Amino acid sequence: MNLSGIFVAAKPEWLPSVVAELNALPGVEVHQVDEATGRIVVVQEAADIPAEIEGLKRIKALPHVVTAEMVYHYLADDRQVYDDLPAELVEQDSPACAVPAYLND
Amino acid sequence: MGLSRRDFLKTSIAASTAATVGMPVAKQAAAAVKASEAGWQWDKAVCRFCGTGCGIMVATKDGQLVATKGDPDAPVNRGLNCVKGYFNGKIQSGKDRLTQPLMRMKDGKFDKKGQFVPVTWEQAFDEMERQFRRVYAEKGPTGIAMLASAQKTIQEGYAFNKLFKAGWRSNNIDPNARNCMASAVAAFYSVFGTDEPAGNYDDIEYADTMVLWGANMAEMHPILWSRVTNRRLGHKAARVINLTTFRNMSSDIADLEIIFKPQTDLAIQNYIAREIIARNAVNWDFVNKHCVFATGPYDIGYGMRPTDKFAFPAEKDVQERERRVKLDKYEAIAQRRTEGEIVEQKNTANPAAHWLITFEDFKKAVEPYTLDFVAELAKGDPDEPLEQFKAKLKQLADHYIDPQRKVVSFWTMGFNQSVRGTWVNEQCYMNHLLLGKQSQPGNGAFSLTGQPSACGTAREVGVFCHRLPADRLIPNPAHRAFTEKQWNLPPKTLNPQIGSFYAKILRDLEDGSVKWLWVAVNNPFQSHPNINHWLKAARELDNFVVVSEAYPGVSAKVADVILPSAMIFEKWGSYGNAERRTQHWRQQVMPPGQARADIWQAMEFSKRFKIKDFWGEQKVPGLKAEGYEDGKLPSVLDEAVKMGYSPEDSLYKVLFATPANLKVRWPDAVAKGHPNHVATLLGDGWFPEKALWQEYVPFTRGDGKDLADFDVYHGDKVRGLKWPVVDGKETGWRFNEQYDPYVKKGAGFEFYGKLFKAIPTGDLDKVTDPKPVSVAGKAKIFFRPYAAPVEQPDANYDLWFCTGRVLEHWHTGTMTRRVPELHRAVPAAVLWMHPDDAKARGLKRNDLAWVESRRGKVQIRVETGGRNAMPRGYTYAPFFDEGVLVNRICIDAACPISKESDYKKSAVKVYKA
Repeated sequence: MNLSGIFVAAKPEWLPSVVAELNALPGVEVHQVDEATGRIVVVQEAADIPAEIEGLKRIKALPHVVTAEMVYHYLADDRQVYDDLPAELVEQDSPACAVPAYLND
Repeated sequence: MGLSRRDFLKTSIAASTAATVGMPVAKQAAAAVKASEAGWQWDKAVCRFCGTGCGIMVATKDGQLVATKGDPDAPVNRGLNCVKGYFNGKIQSGKDRLTQPLMRMKDGKFDKKGQFVPVTWEQAFDEMERQFRRVYAEKGPTGIAMLASAQKTIQEGYAFNKLFKAGWRSNNIDPNARNCMASAVAAFYSVFGTDEPAGNYDDIEYADTMVLWGANMAEMHPILWSRVTNRRLGHKAARVINLTTFRNMSSDIADLEIIFKPQTDLAIQNYIAREIIARNAVNWDFVNKHCVFATGPYDIGYGMRPTDKFAFPAEKDVQERERRVKLDKYEAIAQRRTEGEIVEQKNTANPAAHWLITFEDFKKAVEPYTLDFVAELAKGDPDEPLEQFKAKLKQLADHYIDPQRKVVSFWTMGFNQSVRGTWVNEQCYMNHLLLGKQSQPGNGAFSLTGQPSACGTAREVGVFCHRLPADRLIPNPAHRAFTEKQWNLPPKTLNPQIGSFYAKILRDLEDGSVKWLWVAVNNPFQSHPNINHWLKAARELDNFVVVSEAYPGVSAKVADVILPSAMIFEKWGSYGNAERRTQHWRQQVMPPGQARADIWQAMEFSKRFKIKDFWGEQKVPGLKAEGYEDGKLPSVLDEAVKMGYSPEDSLYKVLFATPANLKVRWPDAVAKGHPNHVATLLGDGWFPEKALWQEYVPFTRGDGKDLADFDVYHGDKVRGLKWPVVDGKETGWRFNEQYDPYVKKGAGFEFYGKLFKAIPTGDLDKVTDPKPVSVAGKAKIFFRPYAAPVEQPDANYDLWFCTGRVLEHWHTGTMTRRVPELHRAVPAAVLWMHPDDAKARGLKRNDLAWVESRRGKVQIRVETGGRNAMPRGYTYAPFFDEGVLVNRICIDAACPISKESDYKKSAVKVYKA
């Protein structure tokens, strides 16, 4: 489960449309809005972490969004980061210790 | 119906996020946070990546990292994190993390040609020791070296510095900060007499104009950039100017983008100075009270080797310019000489020499830098009309000169990584000083840093071949004596001869003068320019290379022994950021497997040596210093015995576990239950990170560099402190009476740094009166001329090539490439080039091309769009990708004053692969 808390700031006069566009993005939920200052808190859920980074880039690219940055990163259920190791880094079979193949090729 | 766990978590994450950025949180949401974070321990820490120094909060549960978030109380980032910072929690748990020492073995023995095999720490240290003793016996203190790092913690830097300089009497320890910040340091020394910026990040919120000189902040310092963009959008008068050699992401919000030709920033700075004088805008009250004018020699070479003995055949023509240079048309005008004149480079040995000149001479020197001359020289985009470029230069000068505008200049590697890096730093101060726009909120020249502790570790501790802690210098007898006293060393233990700087250590490895090398927390065999030479030196010659690493990078691959290191939250530590802010953190989790902190590695290895091994007479080729026999360090053993040492005492006992340090006990209440694997492994009951901190701070106090006590930084409410910390108060703006307690009352401003404050007098060409004149309390306004890059495109190598970072990756990518999501965002380095240049070579986007220079070649994919837009004639590729070692291409020329490599200006040809 890839969950992150993202802080978004928009120009206050554009807030309603920014909120609507945020909610329309897949996996994005607007949780809190401060109408006076244009500050928004969203939680993003994504299938994997690349999708999450792409998601952040999508938010940054929305019209009238001034800032969008990660604030909170939930790691607890998300320890399997390395399913997809680049081929050169796959470890050698060795009973004593894993020596990455990269080092000995 | 209750919330599902996922919804519950989301509510909790939203509430935490809101609280972090200072938004109100509903009662119900607060309850959700409380429930989902039950049993978590939150603690403050610092980001491990760039020099910004963002505060992050780290949560652990049952010895595991469970969450990270921006620290709402951190004044630097106010709760935000950039993409790199977001991954602080993940970089520690890569599947290919090195968790056991590895050594090249054949038939059960160390063998340079062997394969890596897991060994015990004991076996690894045994071989390191055996090789160390062999080399030390043959070569003495100059035969060993360390390539150190601005990513070491302050205590690690301090421990290795002491081990090398006091224990082994070798000054051959130099950090990767040499290639990052050395030009900035050299200019802080020459202009102010003391290192590090006057201002701080709050300048952003006071400034009207922010000028970026070769600093792509949008990609390289995203959190500072968010503060810049907030200022730009929230303050009507605020403007951003981006000076760069190609369009980058920082141009998106810039009001004025100036694309200039590489190294002509030297000319643009002088144009501004000329305008300040021509428009009668010199702040004479400030200049007369607080400044003097100065200059130095121009014929200082390009920081290359003095000989071409080791050069590849194709390198020899450029190498020749280290000895003599034929002036081109622009240099001739800029240096008041004749085109085609051959200038012997006579001042390569003493490039930093400088002397006082008059204002009249200064004015005469900048006179050639007219708008017409500078615009013709500096225009970087061949497709931009000259008149438009001129108008932009004029606007730039307007911004600096307008008395109503507060101006901050930011720079990083664009200035520093240049064969004239020190000069262009000095020029930036030149204009701020002429205008009196320095050391005030919103007004100042501000050098940003690239690494998390370039300031704290490398610069403040003096982990350089010529430095000692807190602005002290190896060649200065008083500074050595002070250090010997602090460290309880017999007089003349320290070696008075400057050691080898970073590039020279690698050159020494190639020419056989260094044969035992320890590399820690940096990746020289990927990141240093012209690596074909250094790869050969490490692998093919009879040298022994130890690499302390967390992940298998290029340097680990070329090592003989790899030591597995603990990473940031697996150890206690502290970093110092670009605004003089020192921040500490506690160990949060245990390192995996047998990985151990570098500070443990230094101290455990030191147990194997006795003072009698080093403190007897030692040969040091070329040593010449007052009070020393030529070529020799004296024996200090008799004096050591008088001081109560035994020749049989170990370096560990004499340097680290001293009686005073052993009194600083572990466990300590300041830990609040957090572990310390270093204290536990050493097992003698002391708290090394705290004891060494307390041993270090007296170096800083009373000298304008004051640091606070260890426990102060660990206070719950403290989020780092900007030094000097005097009477418990940090200092916002140095040299300004209103903020800096070191400035004399009534002075207004005082540039009180002590280094290089007695200099001779001369004219623009030479010293006329060698008698030193005191310029105490004053800053120097330097005249430095335009000089052409040492290598420029020609008929054969017809394109510029520049290298640097990208947002998602950090340096050589040994950490960030372990996070596959970052890996995929920018899967492999690409070569950015102009579509017309690509087309002319039969190339299009995504084609595979060769990039070739005098030094080597690499294959890379072509990119003609994306985040960077090259003018015709320019190419750029980042250096993070170990599959595309762009440093095979880059020239290893450097600023002769700072010895910082010029990564930004190589000449290449590009053709279809």
